[in-house]
Amino acid sequence: MEAQKVDMFMISNAKFFESHQIPIIRDRLISIDDSKWVQISTIQFKDPTLSIVLSVIVGSFGVDRFVIGDTGLGIGKLLTCGGLGIWTIVDWFLIMGATREKNMEMLQRFLF
Amino acid sequence: MGLTRNRLYIFLGLSCLAGYIWLFINSKYSDDEVVVCLFKHVTGVPCPSCGSTRSVLYFFNGEIFSSLYWNPMGLIVAAIMLLVPFWIAFDVILKRDTLFRFYKNAEKIFQKRWVAIPAIMLIIGNWIWNIIKGV
Repeated sequence: MEAQKVDMFMISNAKFFESHQIPIIRDRLISIDDSKWVQISTIQFKDPTLSIVLSVIVGSFGVDRFVIGDTGLGIGKLLTCGGLGIWTIVDWFLIMGATREKNMEMLQRFLF
Repeated sequence: MGLTRNRLYIFLGLSCLAGYIWLFINSKYSDDEVVVCLFKHVTGVPCPSCGSTRSVLYFFNGEIFSSLYWNPMGLIVAAIMLLVPFWIAFDVILKRDTLFRFYKNAEKIFQKRWVAIPAIMLIIGNWIWNIIKGV
């Protein structure tokens, strides 16, 4: 794909990914076919800011995990009062990274 | 850092272990009640899964009806705690991944709208019941 398009994508979507993944994504996007552009540019990524807000407010019900698609872990959190409160607090620090990883998984389905 | 079979098994195994330790502590010192629920501490209102510990303890004492009364979700927790260690052992010994595949499938089922919405309704119903009971 054209470098200009890719850079535009990177600027508007950089916050959804881990910083170390960004160069890899950029290289990969440049090398793939132009026909995938429509699909890639319309993926709905999960916002890490939203997940940290949810994690702080309703984290002990596992809502943050449900939202990013970790349904199993969400149920685990819900059933155990947020892992006796400990898991809730741990997730305040993990959830943004987990959201970015989920976004990367989503994008990888189109990239590779 | 995707979820792999071994990660899931270690996580579930440790969770079960923590659960049994928690139950042991609670059965030894049942007189002075410890509230760990963040939500209950902050708002003073019980959360949907408050009462699960009592429920699981009653379940292991064979009092199913008390267990259901305190929190029906406790029965699910008790079932998971009973089943998962054996399932993990089975998979590890036979070098299979049946639990991992079951987990992945269950996740997919719970993401379907016609399963998720009734489940959420049940949990909200249970929550209202919890608040009325004053768990």
